[in-house]
Amino acid sequence: MAAPRRYSGSRFTLALLVLTSVTLISLDARGYAPVGNLKKAGIVIVQPFRSLARTVFSPIGNAWESLSNGDELERENAVLRKQLDELLSYRIANEEAVNDLEALRTQLGLQGLGGQETVVAEVTAGSVSNFDPYVLEINKGTQSGIREGMPVISTGGLIGRIENPGLRDSRVRLITDPTVNIGVLAIGTKEIGILTGNGVDQPMRVIDGIPISAPVEVGSILVTSGLDRSPYPEGFAVGSVVEVVPDEVNLEKELLVEPTGEMDNLDFVTVVLYLPPSLE
Amino acid sequence: MVVAAIRNCVVLLLLLLLQLELFSSLRFFGVMPEVMLAAAIAAGWYGGPSGGAIVGFSCGLFYDFYLATPLGLTALTYAIIGYLLGQISAFLSDEAEWIVRITISVAAVTIGLVLFVTFGELIAEPNLYNRNFGKILVIASLYTGFLMVPIHFMMAWAFGASRVNPAGFDR
Repeated sequence: MAAPRRYSGSRFTLALLVLTSVTLISLDARGYAPVGNLKKAGIVIVQPFRSLARTVFSPIGNAWESLSNGDELERENAVLRKQLDELLSYRIANEEAVNDLEALRTQLGLQGLGGQETVVAEVTAGSVSNFDPYVLEINKGTQSGIREGMPVISTGGLIGRIENPGLRDSRVRLITDPTVNIGVLAIGTKEIGILTGNGVDQPMRVIDGIPISAPVEVGSILVTSGLDRSPYPEGFAVGSVVEVVPDEVNLEKELLVEPTGEMDNLDFVTVVLYLPPSLE
Repeated sequence: MVVAAIRNCVVLLLLLLLQLELFSSLRFFGVMPEVMLAAAIAAGWYGGPSGGAIVGFSCGLFYDFYLATPLGLTALTYAIIGYLLGQISAFLSDEAEWIVRITISVAAVTIGLVLFVTFGELIAEPNLYNRNFGKILVIASLYTGFLMVPIHFMMAWAFGASRVNPAGFDR
């Protein structure tokens, strides 16, 4: 066996890099703006190469997706894309077209947007990490009026909120993230609870706030409450109750909720340009 | 030195693009390979502890730009892993079988992922340790292991290793 090589100065190099990393972590966690700008600058520099790579690799990714998910998803995608195209084409039409749009929205299960301005954005990527599957990347940013925390909807209702918007791109934090809490109201009742994400392919949960006597049953639709300091406007469909678990001790109901918004195989989403009154 | 730096930049950019645009779609059971971590590990083999730490830090920092975790968390992890692999490689013979190197590299991927999640937990980052952690650990390590050979070739080129021996990679 060969004699071990000696590397001089390697411990000093490592110590320097560890110190740099810890400093960056500390500054970024405190929201120090220059670190955030460094992140954005890095993304901007790589963006042209990334766009080129996307063009090259997306057929491979699509082929893989088709293989792994089957043809059914492709068909469903095509139908949804067609419906979305119809929706978008109605946006610029006259009053009659606006009425048609409302009809289409109803047909597609989209909630009324309450006169809010919206921006349609293309989904450019899903999560790029094994540990954080609750994000999407979209191709619109602050240049299009998008700001931190704005709600994002797809066919069926609310799917997330904007996080860390760049100039021409943004990240969407999905509502299935266990760190996301949303104030919800059960339609047809006055019952308000806090909906919490519960991970990928797991139903979301409303643990507190729904009394055991409340008329909230399987199939009930939950919408954003829009109360207090909620970052979401009221009335967006969030999910439908799939299971009710009574808690006899606390005299409350735990609700298991499936999101109504389409989250899989998304091509486009709509960002509602809404800022809560406290931030306007 | 300058040539090696330029070559490393080219390789890291290429691997970053592969990670972001190709392998994020090519998932097995929802898990993708950790290409940038593999680059840090291979850099340790060919660049020694210092080279491994510096390239590992760069790999992590590039990747950090695209993650929701604080900037520097991945850089910290990959720098340590690159350094450790550099130290390990110093004790291995140049003629060591490639299978030994790949096995050590795969084990290093596992350690890197555990380290990343541990550091994340220490700073109270949400979502890192979850019910899928075991699955991610196993599949990501094996999946990355399959990509180790080409990544070793790329890093060998980046560090100007004279040749790649079929029996064992030259440093």
